[in-house]
Amino acid sequence: MITLNQVTKTYETPAGKFAALKHIDLEVRPGEFVGVVGKSGSGKSTLLNMLAGIDRPSSGSVAVAGTEIQDLSENKLAVWRGRNVGFVFQFFQLLPTLTAAENVMLPMDFSGTIPLRERRKRAVALLERVAVGAHADKLPATLSGGEQQRVAIARALANNPPLVLADEPTGNLDSTTAKAILDLFREMANQGTTVVIATHEADIARVIDRRVEISDGAILRK
Amino acid sequence: MNTLWRKAIRDFWHERARTALVVLAIALGISAFAAVLSSYAILTRELDRGYLATNPASAVLRVDSIDDDLVKAILQNPEVSDAEPRRSISGQIKAGPVQWRNLILFVVNDYGNIRVSKLVPEQGAWPPAAGEILIERDAFQVAQAKIGDAVLVKTANGVEQPLVISGSVHDVGQAQARMENIVYGYINLATLVQLGENPTLDQLNILVAQNRFDEAHIKRVVADVETVIASRGHHVRRIDVPRPGKHPHSDLTGILLLAMSSFGLFVLVLSGILVINLLTAMMASQVRQIGVMKAIGGTRGQIARIYFGQALFLGIAAVIVSVPLGIIGSRALCRYMAMFLNFDINSFAVPVWVYLLVAVIGIAAPLLAAALPVLRGTAVPVRVALSDFGLSQTTFGASAFDRALTRIGGTFSLIVFAIRNSFRRRVRLVLTLLTLAAGGLFFLSALNVRASLINTLDRMFAARKFDLSVFLANPNELEKIERAIGNTPGVVRAEGWFVTDASLVSRFTVVALPADTQLLDLEIIEGRNLAPGDTDAIVINNALAGREAKMRVGQTVVLRMADAESTWHVVGVAREAFSPALAYIPLNSVQQPRMVNSLRLSLANADSDVVKTDLDRNLEHEGVRARGSATTAESRFAFDQHMLMIYVFLIVMSAIIGGVGGLGLMTTMSLNVFERRREMGVMRALGATPRIVWLLIVAEGIVIGVLSWAIAGLLAWPISKAIGDLLVRMLFRAGLDFTFEPLGLVIWLLVSIGLSALASFLPAWRASRVTVREALAYE
Repeated sequence: MITLNQVTKTYETPAGKFAALKHIDLEVRPGEFVGVVGKSGSGKSTLLNMLAGIDRPSSGSVAVAGTEIQDLSENKLAVWRGRNVGFVFQFFQLLPTLTAAENVMLPMDFSGTIPLRERRKRAVALLERVAVGAHADKLPATLSGGEQQRVAIARALANNPPLVLADEPTGNLDSTTAKAILDLFREMANQGTTVVIATHEADIARVIDRRVEISDGAILRK
Repeated sequence: MNTLWRKAIRDFWHERARTALVVLAIALGISAFAAVLSSYAILTRELDRGYLATNPASAVLRVDSIDDDLVKAILQNPEVSDAEPRRSISGQIKAGPVQWRNLILFVVNDYGNIRVSKLVPEQGAWPPAAGEILIERDAFQVAQAKIGDAVLVKTANGVEQPLVISGSVHDVGQAQARMENIVYGYINLATLVQLGENPTLDQLNILVAQNRFDEAHIKRVVADVETVIASRGHHVRRIDVPRPGKHPHSDLTGILLLAMSSFGLFVLVLSGILVINLLTAMMASQVRQIGVMKAIGGTRGQIARIYFGQALFLGIAAVIVSVPLGIIGSRALCRYMAMFLNFDINSFAVPVWVYLLVAVIGIAAPLLAAALPVLRGTAVPVRVALSDFGLSQTTFGASAFDRALTRIGGTFSLIVFAIRNSFRRRVRLVLTLLTLAAGGLFFLSALNVRASLINTLDRMFAARKFDLSVFLANPNELEKIERAIGNTPGVVRAEGWFVTDASLVSRFTVVALPADTQLLDLEIIEGRNLAPGDTDAIVINNALAGREAKMRVGQTVVLRMADAESTWHVVGVAREAFSPALAYIPLNSVQQPRMVNSLRLSLANADSDVVKTDLDRNLEHEGVRARGSATTAESRFAFDQHMLMIYVFLIVMSAIIGGVGGLGLMTTMSLNVFERRREMGVMRALGATPRIVWLLIVAEGIVIGVLSWAIAGLLAWPISKAIGDLLVRMLFRAGLDFTFEPLGLVIWLLVSIGLSALASFLPAWRASRVTVREALAYE
């Protein structure tokens, strides 16, 4: 599903060059639930950004679902992402002026893969799947953090992507809600979706298939 | 409606106060544009339509005398569809105790059968009977009389005849009486006889049969008519071919409206700047959302469509608001112009093309303005967009300019803080300053142009060392006139001049005056003035120099004057602003140097009316008839009236642009406050009271206002000179003696401070009401 080959990412900063990722080799199988674990600043988010095509490697290659994404243009990457990747952010990042259902419909509108008439129905079904169906027509500001993250997960599943990436999805939630959210990801993986979560929390062992430890931009343990 | 459109609409609703401000500002721009464009369409149509409805003459020929046989002979020409004789004669009119006013009398033989250059009866009797006079509707104010009043009328022969004003007419083709300070009267032949004049008509109004709007064709037909007149032993003194189908004021109106349309477009551009400001801010505040949308599959084009959709919404909303406003404005403007130019508007219908053009420009302008911020905002890479933290993370202090700013003031104070804050969003600041400074520039220009016009007129009238001009009915011996003047108290100095027409390529006026005249101090810009001993010297004014290419200093020209040709040597060019084409020659070089037909008098501080009355009596005693007179003050009044429209135009422009600028500043301050909510929360947490937050924002607005004032003040000199020169050249084909009005700077500084305080009041008030918790929670 995912193959990273000698991926290095270096940023130019006022203090000089900073290597966020150093010669990363990584393979993730389809349907696998991988937890990328590391401290803040270790390179977890950068690694996830590489997988989503949000950022490009300075060297090396990233192949996701058979596509070498590092050479795609921004627009092609956006289209590819819409169809192949669901992304969940730490701060939910729901669009504040759209309702929960509309937030979920947004990726469908972008990619156009779901017929127009079915989009609302599908969005509500996804919201029900993550247990926030009752909040379909509410604006994000009226939802709790956990509810917002569930909506974000429903949004990530909008186009039924083979890969879901989540960057610290429980970092802003209380422990009970965090547990429920992680269970949702587990359920996704059980249904065949490849899931990669970046987290600095160590207690995700119970839900993930494999743990990848990262420190100072290098993988310590796969 | 898909989610993209929903987002576009709800984002705007979320920011409805700012959106309303921008819609209002764009609507103001479009309204101004729509008003002038509609007025242009209505006025040009109605002016020419009203003029054409009078069946205006294709040509006017002044003949020694016209009888029925001559008219019949001319009508034999199949190219002439109509020929109608009239007479126009100069005179004076007096209503009650009011002084004599200059009068042009139009004599028509058969008022029931006017076919060419028709008059429109308005009120009272029609046609005028013997002993009656009709007055042009605009001239009542000049005559200071009303229908039913008895007036005294005299022509050059001096017979004072009481007439009754029996009605009013509208003579569409005449220049506005109030502006010209002249009365137009209409009488029949019997009344003309009562005035002691011969019952002859000497003006032939010709209407060509075909190609009525072809000037060359008209001139060919007129040449044939002239041949017929000559073959019957008559003499054509003068031929006038007005621009076919065009009201005499058509060009003036067109130029004025064109200038106004350009201004409307300018206001529209300024309001477009507000769209740039709003959308730039909106894009800045939505960078992370753009990142999220990209992260979940949105392409740049899809995301850009959301924001272009918002710009489209702004345009549509503004057009909807502005079209009715524009129509109301256009009606007011049309009514003012119609009153100003003395014509009637039958229909205020606005052509469809105006609506279409306004809609297209109104919608396209915000879209164009949105292009740069939207394209830049959507081009931000996803990773950068996702990690955007807004203004709080920008690094103020990185540039040398920032560091220079920190040296202003020395110690921290509200003003220092306000100055530094106002420079944080530089592009926004520049755009806001642009709109505010534009308002200031127009205001200062209005005052400067006004001061310059007054200065130009002052210089022009300073050259005239006389207070009173008297025009004689016929050339008279200077000795008689000198005797009459000698018996008139209050005259300090007097000169007799001889005024006539001459032609080279075009026709112009020639003034023969004493070479050492003490009553005219010409401003010579090339060559020299007339000098005693000159015999064939001629000095021309700049208007004539611009018209006659052959008349250059040092050149010899042959002029046709009084049916004879004479040779003249051009010795100088004089500058005379706003003057028609004129030439000056020594009085002793004319055939009869002791005969004059025009007097110039310098008066002691005497009442000019008393002097005029005494002089008229004394001239009559000498057998000399005056056909009219004008004080220099009256001439100046007429000029001031012409200039009034320029002042009004510029002041209205500056008010509208100032309004747009104020709305722009309000938008800017509202955006600045919005982006710095967290900072304000921090300040409040550190102990700043709501009042300090409020003062800080108002101070920032005032800093921007004062900056815009400084920019306007710096640019005012060259810009207002250019605007003044352009307007005056377009309207009067003359230059301007530029002068700067320093009072304008003081007034605009106060206006800028007031406007910016007012514009920042509301954002400041709202910011001061946000709780510390809300402000700190803002991300």
